[in-house]
Amino acid sequence: MRTLQFGAVLLGLLVTGSAMAAQPLAAEQFTVESLPRASPHWVYIVDEAFANEIDARVRLFDGDSYRHLGQIDAGFNPGVILSPDRTTTAVATTYFARGGHGTRTDVVEFVDNTSLTTIGEIVLPPKHAQLSPAFSILSYSSDGRFVYVSYITPAASFGVLDPGNKTVLSEIDTAGCVLVLASGRNRVSSLCDSGRLLTVTLDEQGHEAARALSDVFFDPDSDPIFAQAVPTSSGYVFLSFLGQVHEVDLTGPQPLIHAPWSMVGAAEKGHWRPGGQQLAAIHGALGRLYVCMHSGGEGSHKEGGSEIWVMDLKTHHRLARWPMKSLNIGPVSAVQVSQDAAPLLFAGTDHQAVAVFDALTGQLRHVEKNLGQSPWLILNP
Amino acid sequence: MHALDRLFEKSSRSLAQRTSRRSFVAVLGQILTGSILLPLLPIDRVSRAQAASPDSAQARPPHQAASDDPQNCEYWKYCAIDGYLCSCCGGSSHSCPPGTAMSPITWIGTCHNPSDRRDYMVSYNDCCGKTSCGNCECNRNEREKPIYRLSRNNDVNWCMANSDSNYHCSVSVILGLADQ
Repeated sequence: MRTLQFGAVLLGLLVTGSAMAAQPLAAEQFTVESLPRASPHWVYIVDEAFANEIDARVRLFDGDSYRHLGQIDAGFNPGVILSPDRTTTAVATTYFARGGHGTRTDVVEFVDNTSLTTIGEIVLPPKHAQLSPAFSILSYSSDGRFVYVSYITPAASFGVLDPGNKTVLSEIDTAGCVLVLASGRNRVSSLCDSGRLLTVTLDEQGHEAARALSDVFFDPDSDPIFAQAVPTSSGYVFLSFLGQVHEVDLTGPQPLIHAPWSMVGAAEKGHWRPGGQQLAAIHGALGRLYVCMHSGGEGSHKEGGSEIWVMDLKTHHRLARWPMKSLNIGPVSAVQVSQDAAPLLFAGTDHQAVAVFDALTGQLRHVEKNLGQSPWLILNP
Repeated sequence: MHALDRLFEKSSRSLAQRTSRRSFVAVLGQILTGSILLPLLPIDRVSRAQAASPDSAQARPPHQAASDDPQNCEYWKYCAIDGYLCSCCGGSSHSCPPGTAMSPITWIGTCHNPSDRRDYMVSYNDCCGKTSCGNCECNRNEREKPIYRLSRNNDVNWCMANSDSNYHCSVSVILGLADQ
């Protein structure tokens, strides 16, 4: 045995000596990485950084290589949205003059998605809706000409911005109705306390041309809908606290509101519920709705999902239930699905992780731990 | 000041002048006030489970229930609070830490006190002007509603109307019995 140990030590010395005799490492060039070509499997993960909220950020993550590709700074309680052509990320946020305190400046910043550099900004009145990250705090018109930003002071209104000329065009009062759900080139809908949708149509200058209130389509008292709307090709899908699915078509001047349907069976109603932050996502071509579901009662609507349910938007049938508990990733509070033919499902968890699943089979592919403090909003490129 | 802000203030002051304190408190829960009537409000805090301080459970006397401990998320007054507990940040369940400012707008809920079996009207207030405290994160949502029902929502930063609108922590202040 001692002979063997001596041989191993001798071999080690020889190898070390050989390495020392080799050419020294070349001098390195200090540089800045360029982003590779964008992939449908990239996601922009909005981290509210809840423990130090003035330092929210957006992390660009590759669902194939599991690499962090870069970061966008996002200030305090940001709204984040990608432009329709996906070339730009817009961030509506607040900065304080002295870091954690001081004069408040609200601003929409525009970031070039090929370099992750800030390329412009529009300073806002100090009214930006300071909320948990959600899609509808900030939105683009379908042609990218207008940007809409939600204001709450607590009076509700929204700003119409011109991202081309970096100017504020107008402010539209929406008393009793909040958020900016964009549709088409010039329409914005807001959710109302009365259970209706307010839809404002803009003129070419970005000023109000007309407004219309929908019929009541949900009951804010007995079964409110989550404000986190899921965009579709024709409008939005809203989920209710008790698991009803409300589909709204916004392609016309008046919202077309379809009859609601239920994700839960009679025996499950009141027990199994949707919950979380970005609690649902849709794969458009497959017509599949992915929802964070948990078993709970009144007041549990922000609990993350112990299961992800997969629903068929045409048949309204449940296609699958994917349990999360055995995976030890924590309850799932945010889901997003890539829109390609081999889709990935991204799941932001209460344990500060983002899990990557095969969106067709539910097979877990990867868990990226510590991907921010609070990965509650995940955007697709 | 925006016309809508002035309208909020005017309507709130008018409401206060036209109603009794009892009915005013009841209505206040339905109507968001934009004036400095009560200091309050919790911000979002969709955070994760009812986290509150694990240390507080150890420090708590053996006979004290979690629902009686102001440093525990299960404290009865916190039934719809969402944020960092000011009682773990230099304040108490109903006072802000030194150097912070009370939010001038608020929302009101009802919590049940298991000790005396009564329901109390409480206001949820935020303390503002410093960055997040970070201690005793707590997220409970009994009867909480989405943002379109602003007067019942804890996802918004209720420091929003402060001159320095940064969020620090949240409190829950007893206003009186719910059935008064």
